[in-house]
Amino acid sequence: MNRKISRLRALLWLPIALASTCVAAQTTSVAPPPGRLLASNCFQCHGYNGKSSIGFENLAGESSAEIYKELIEMRTKSRPDIMDMHARGYTDAQIRLIADYLSKQR
Amino acid sequence: MNRRDFFRLASMAGAGVSAAGLSGLVSAATPAQLGTVPTNTGISGRVVVIGGGMAGATVAKYLRLWGGTGVSVTLVERETTYASNILSNLVLNGQRTMTSLQFGYSNLATRYGIRLVKGDVTAIDSVGHSVSLADGSKLPYDRLVVAPGIDFDTIPGLETAAAQAKVPHAWKAGPQTTILRNQLVAMKPGGVFVMTIPAKPYRCPPGPYERACVVADWLKKNRVGSKVIVLDANPGITAEPLAFANAFNVVHKGVIEYRPGAVINSIDASTMTLNTNFGNLKANVINAIPAHRAGKVIIDNGLANVSGRWAGVDVLTYQSTAAPGIHVIGDAAATTQPKAGHIANQEAKICADAIVRLLAGRSPDPSPITNSACYSPITSDTASWLTAVFAYDPVSGSMQPVPGASGEATARSQDNYKEMFKWFNTLMEDSFA
Repeated sequence: MNRKISRLRALLWLPIALASTCVAAQTTSVAPPPGRLLASNCFQCHGYNGKSSIGFENLAGESSAEIYKELIEMRTKSRPDIMDMHARGYTDAQIRLIADYLSKQR
Repeated sequence: MNRRDFFRLASMAGAGVSAAGLSGLVSAATPAQLGTVPTNTGISGRVVVIGGGMAGATVAKYLRLWGGTGVSVTLVERETTYASNILSNLVLNGQRTMTSLQFGYSNLATRYGIRLVKGDVTAIDSVGHSVSLADGSKLPYDRLVVAPGIDFDTIPGLETAAAQAKVPHAWKAGPQTTILRNQLVAMKPGGVFVMTIPAKPYRCPPGPYERACVVADWLKKNRVGSKVIVLDANPGITAEPLAFANAFNVVHKGVIEYRPGAVINSIDASTMTLNTNFGNLKANVINAIPAHRAGKVIIDNGLANVSGRWAGVDVLTYQSTAAPGIHVIGDAAATTQPKAGHIANQEAKICADAIVRLLAGRSPDPSPITNSACYSPITSDTASWLTAVFAYDPVSGSMQPVPGASGEATARSQDNYKEMFKWFNTLMEDSFA
């Protein structure tokens, strides 16, 4: 019984302890840029951050609107090639995030 | 906290990290398109990565690119170079050499400041957070990533090293790939090549069918009248069913004989005979791919908690469901995703991102996406392709294929064959360069 209570007490403290580590860590480290992890799905074929030198089209620094438009168009092609098929895996919002991230790479 | 406070804290953190991260030297010769390791992320921790394949190399690289110099990364690998499984079927038809499929680790060291340790892991201490190596040294870690790839079961009759060299699987690119190539070249016209495919899950779902095609294509031109008999433990073609059904029934008609639902009871290497549920089969070359399980380090260290063969993981972080602080990525992990190099690369990025966030006290990305893509040669100058996108499903806690975003090429083509090399080169650059 006593052990149970002390364990409960410890659990009650847990959220406070976790919250304080989170706050401490978040104030000293830079948050991951939005869209980076999603956009990393492009890197296998388009190079790191979309900077392609030996592969498929370069994406880094292209306008966000252009990348977005192209990906949206790909989703409705009637005889999809590999990228047309691939583009169907992302929601509009995800495509927006990917396009914004890639457009900011230099 | 206002903006000024944030920048003051960020720059303080940066100063601390750059002093601590002196080992993270980055070569000035790094090509401009590749990333550089940042010095001011304010994140620190020690990560050890076991295994330098597609998953291990990629996670090591991205931990540094996204974590910065404060995240020290040690990569433990027993080999000097990685031999790519991708494209290794083209060694069999003489279009690639094994040398052209070797990838070294020096870029990871010089460009990203990853510490390389050549050695064998003897034990993982998941409580004390350290890895023991065969030379007696210990590597302490805050987070451990295990990416050993696969191991094989033993087919009855193939217990000895001599028998395994005579009946190679060649399903881990290396000396066995060369053995199989030499055996193919030594075949006479009118010979019989038998290959066996294990039940799912196995590495590279389209790979065995692709191999049957590449071998059949070569035999047709170089050893006329030969046959390829494919004994598949699965009830049907497991990947690219359209492309391979067409290849077996049309393109390589009369050369490839496909038999699903096969059971291999034993193989006699001395008489080159397979004992199967279809009776005894004699062959000139037997390429037997045994059933798979996760690499030994997973089994030996209590991480194989899925049917005793694979490592269960939480796919938001790839953290083991058997031991906290340990992440398992690539073919050794039990997920709903295929065991293949392209997806191992993306699992590695999800894992690297999650570790960087965890080290910073943040939560992992709640909705990760992974992708798989590959090209399969059907002849010496045509290929098909396969792609799939997986999204996190919070209900099942697993990665599920996005409806309508998976599929294969409608027809093989020479353009696909050319694109295959572009895909391979960039994928390997993303993982090793």
